[in-house]
Amino acid sequence: MQPFALNYARPAVDSEAVLPYVYDSGLQLNVLVDGRIAASDAALLRELGTTTSTAGSKTHFDD
Amino acid sequence: MTVLILTGEEDVTADMVVVHLNAASVPVVRLDPADLTAGVALSGEYVHGSFRGHLSAGGRLVSVSGLRSVWVRRPGAPAARAAQPSAWLTEEAGQALYGMLRGSAARWMNHPDAARRARHKPWQLRLAQRCGLPVPATIVTTFPQAAREFAARFPDLVVKPVSGAHPQEPPRAVPTSRVAPDTDFAAVAYGPTLLQRRVAKRADIRLTVVGEALLAARKETPADADPDEVDVRFASAATPWLPTEVPPRVAAGVRAYLRTAELAYGAFDFAEDADGTWWFLECNQSGQFGFVEVETGLPVARTIAAWLARPAPREPGCADDRRLAAP
Repeated sequence: MQPFALNYARPAVDSEAVLPYVYDSGLQLNVLVDGRIAASDAALLRELGTTTSTAGSKTHFDD
Repeated sequence: MTVLILTGEEDVTADMVVVHLNAASVPVVRLDPADLTAGVALSGEYVHGSFRGHLSAGGRLVSVSGLRSVWVRRPGAPAARAAQPSAWLTEEAGQALYGMLRGSAARWMNHPDAARRARHKPWQLRLAQRCGLPVPATIVTTFPQAAREFAARFPDLVVKPVSGAHPQEPPRAVPTSRVAPDTDFAAVAYGPTLLQRRVAKRADIRLTVVGEALLAARKETPADADPDEVDVRFASAATPWLPTEVPPRVAAGVRAYLRTAELAYGAFDFAEDADGTWWFLECNQSGQFGFVEVETGLPVARTIAAWLARPAPREPGCADDRRLAAP
């Protein structure tokens, strides 16, 4: 007896990809391996899609 | 005066705003409530008619009275990463942190009470109607017969989750999906179902509103697009997001919406039809904006930073104080 809307569900996209940046608590920013600030690299953000409106997040649905 | 940002470490979208605050030399303390008692600490004293509260994270200490604004971006559940997490500890930590912050004079983006209310999609639809924004015919129901009758009146429908939440175990996504004309609506009885007239769209609109600032992006729907691809988040179309102008009536409507909802930030989704009408779909009170800025160059992060950097108002007194102070 599945709710109607779940007839349209699909597997969530795996979002566990390894990110090429780590959080620097001193800067309060994520930095790349070469020390650059990740947020300043628009091409990287576009490629990773980490700033994109998505569906299926475990913790947030304010996309 | 400091800007407090509540979000996870991996939130690179928040970084986009922190960069601007740093450039403007505005002090920032960023923490994730999930780290309470394991890297984040708090203390507040209510003594002799006054309050003194402090938060610490990452070696930084900030007084609650020294906050100019609080940005509730993507906070984790309080104390979720404590040494011995529990639902009880999360409630305790949440009450302590947000209770203390509620007593400050800081400006919120967005206030937790307003944010909680604003997540209710049926409430959003009604508020949008009241604010003069066109809303596609919609029904939320557990009556299969009501769904059938609605489908008879509006044969081209989509279905979407009422809450916007997605089921887990296993993790699944429920995109906005087109409902076939011969669909059996019996399962509507097993869960509230939101059905909405499909807008034959020529574009998707993401309108990000920060205070009074409107930053709109438009993604054209290709002429040969599959009409079953309703949800732009899942669509394969490679057309870019581009900046666009906001029609004056829409501008007035969304500003009224945010004022009434007591929100400082909202990310509105519209479907633009062949006549150019923007149909309100939803307003995400903490919607993503990074992809808009990255693709269009619209200065969303800078605008958010500027809003957060404005001075805090004076600490409010109680209602009786104001009455007694009146001439």
